[in-house]
Amino acid sequence: MTATATTPAPASRAVGTWTLTWHGVRTVAALELRQRVRSSRWKAALIVWFVVVGAITLLASGALLFVGTSSASREASGAALFVVVTALVLGLGLLVTPTLASTAVNGDRSAGTLATLQVTLLSPAEIATGKLLAAWASACAFLVVSLPFFVIALLMGGVPVATLPRVILLTALLLAAVCGMGLGWSTLAARPAGSTVLTFVTVAGLTVFTPIFFGLTYPFLSTTQDVQVYGVPDSYWDEINELDEDEAQAALENEPVCELTTKERSVAHTEWTWWLLAINPFVVVADGAVPASAHAADSPGALAVDITSSVRALRLGSPDVLDECWSDDDSQAVLTTGSDAGPVWPFGLAVNLLLGAAGFIVAVRRLRLPQRTLPRGTRVA
Amino acid sequence: MPPDAPHDQPGGPTSAPDVPAGAVAVATRPHGIEVTGLRRAFGAVKALDGADLVARAGAVTALVGPNGSGKTTLLLVLAGLLVPDSGQVRVAGHDPVTDNAGARARTGWMPDAFGTWDSLTAREVLTTFADAYRVDRTTAAARIDELLATVHLSEYADQPAAVLSRGQKQRLGLARALVHDPQVLLLDEPASGLDPRSRVDLRLLLRRLADEGRTVLVSSHVLAELDEMADDAVFLSRGRTVAGLSENDAVSGRRTWHVRSLSVAALTDWLDTAGVAWRPDGAPRTLGTPAAPGNAGSAGGVLVDVAGEAGAAALLRDAVTAGVPVVSSAPAAGALEQAYLALEEERR
Repeated sequence: MTATATTPAPASRAVGTWTLTWHGVRTVAALELRQRVRSSRWKAALIVWFVVVGAITLLASGALLFVGTSSASREASGAALFVVVTALVLGLGLLVTPTLASTAVNGDRSAGTLATLQVTLLSPAEIATGKLLAAWASACAFLVVSLPFFVIALLMGGVPVATLPRVILLTALLLAAVCGMGLGWSTLAARPAGSTVLTFVTVAGLTVFTPIFFGLTYPFLSTTQDVQVYGVPDSYWDEINELDEDEAQAALENEPVCELTTKERSVAHTEWTWWLLAINPFVVVADGAVPASAHAADSPGALAVDITSSVRALRLGSPDVLDECWSDDDSQAVLTTGSDAGPVWPFGLAVNLLLGAAGFIVAVRRLRLPQRTLPRGTRVA
Repeated sequence: MPPDAPHDQPGGPTSAPDVPAGAVAVATRPHGIEVTGLRRAFGAVKALDGADLVARAGAVTALVGPNGSGKTTLLLVLAGLLVPDSGQVRVAGHDPVTDNAGARARTGWMPDAFGTWDSLTAREVLTTFADAYRVDRTTAAARIDELLATVHLSEYADQPAAVLSRGQKQRLGLARALVHDPQVLLLDEPASGLDPRSRVDLRLLLRRLADEGRTVLVSSHVLAELDEMADDAVFLSRGRTVAGLSENDAVSGRRTWHVRSLSVAALTDWLDTAGVAWRPDGAPRTLGTPAAPGNAGSAGGVLVDVAGEAGAAALLRDAVTAGVPVVSSAPAAGALEQAYLALEEERR
């Protein structure tokens, strides 16, 4: 301490709500991470994670290898294992991440350490960003621990190598979004338990409730209406029925010629609800994971592609022309609308990231000083 | 208490001849605290209901009041955490409402209840706050060592804060509030949990900080403690400033003195002839006899109301001259305590 009574020089620097400096963000993030790294609970969580993911991966790979030994089936099991590991890591990540960020602000408040940090020259944006970065880095630590199992699945073949960075990146971005949501709830809810529950409910809303709502709304979207159908004409069957057995047999040898007719069909307008599935984190990763080059290839990885291409198709709702032609001819000429509606993951990822950003903005606004209102039942310090 | 600082009025003349940095405290007084008509309600509860306060730079000002009188709320407003409903606030020349960061940069705040990051060492806690206040890294390291020595935590510098006792955490909190060399220091119950030695250290430290020209505002309800360190006092009751007390008042105000004599009878006889009103002090007699002032030969004391220290000196001189065997003459209680109790009486 100096004997002079002059104020420190940096005080003249303006600090606004949205002032963002690397120095400030690093100070908060380092503080958060240092506390986390030193807690035994955190180390235990990482070890448990490694053991659980490792055990399930090894058991699944063992089971898959037992089923098939040929090289083709080996590729298929490699792809299946990769799907298992991806779903497992994403699912567990979505379970663990809410606890990392959802007590960031109100937990500090109840521990009495928030206000002393708020009165420093750190801006609300720096505190929020630092806490978000620390929570995200912790979530990514779980991803890093899972990397060996991704590599094992990749080594079994059947999955393009480019899939791995895409899966990791998409998962990391989705977990960042969850961190943002948790941070937002932690400033809105007075108690840590409340914000954790709210974050879990939000994540559950994205992962569990979206397919449920999609399924429940499906009947209401179905209408019976006249649509164009490209298929084997009714007259074909009528003719066959009139023939005796031998002649029918001969007639069936001939491929029927498909025609466009107008018929009554039940049609579901999924173009209204497809987004419910698209914002699901699992769909985002599944749809975005496989590189575009692999879509065309008839690889075993197409298993995952099939799942997401059906979601892509849902986006279009019912096609203009229903394809009911089972005979092998050039139906593509008639079915003008492309069956591929394009990837849905950019939309889903954007929605998730926007929710995370909304949480972050709420957090910054709620960290502003001086405060006008206090959360019910809390003290400032 | 330095006996020569006059009671400070807003806009009034200020002089603090005993303060080396007294030149700072000119008429505009840029580094003090000024609060006028501060109001803040939490729902139906009026925590602050028109509080006024002036804390001079270069002086320790005590903020006195019963529990729930609004002390903490006032300090929260001054620290820039709460928006007042109405009223003017100036902290070191900055308005915490309109220029929050400017006021925060010059304010060191120690809340009444605060937590520590238990897994961090004392040094890391202080380094984090130095970073948060954007103190230059090179100066920060030296200042942190100095502060740890000041609050006698050097030997715990590299131990996790979890092992610190309550009093040690309190001292760490004080060091934390000082890490950015603030102009204004706001301390909410700083002495709670401190051992007697640390209380003395705290008193000396606050005295030194004030002598360096800083503004120190200390809240407490342990009056004897404030009495030893405060130059001025502000009394808060039900969110309102009920009175101010400067050393002028302490020096010239009417206070009760406790006069002890080897012979109570001689003392009371003399007081009666001198026409000074007295009352028994109620203390047990040393010889075991009941508290009867007429008991000749027994040692004891009485309480006498005198005007100011000059009056006390005159009384003592006259008594000794008259041959009364006076043992001691001292204020019956601290100035703050007497003023506080007087206020309580007025309120009833």
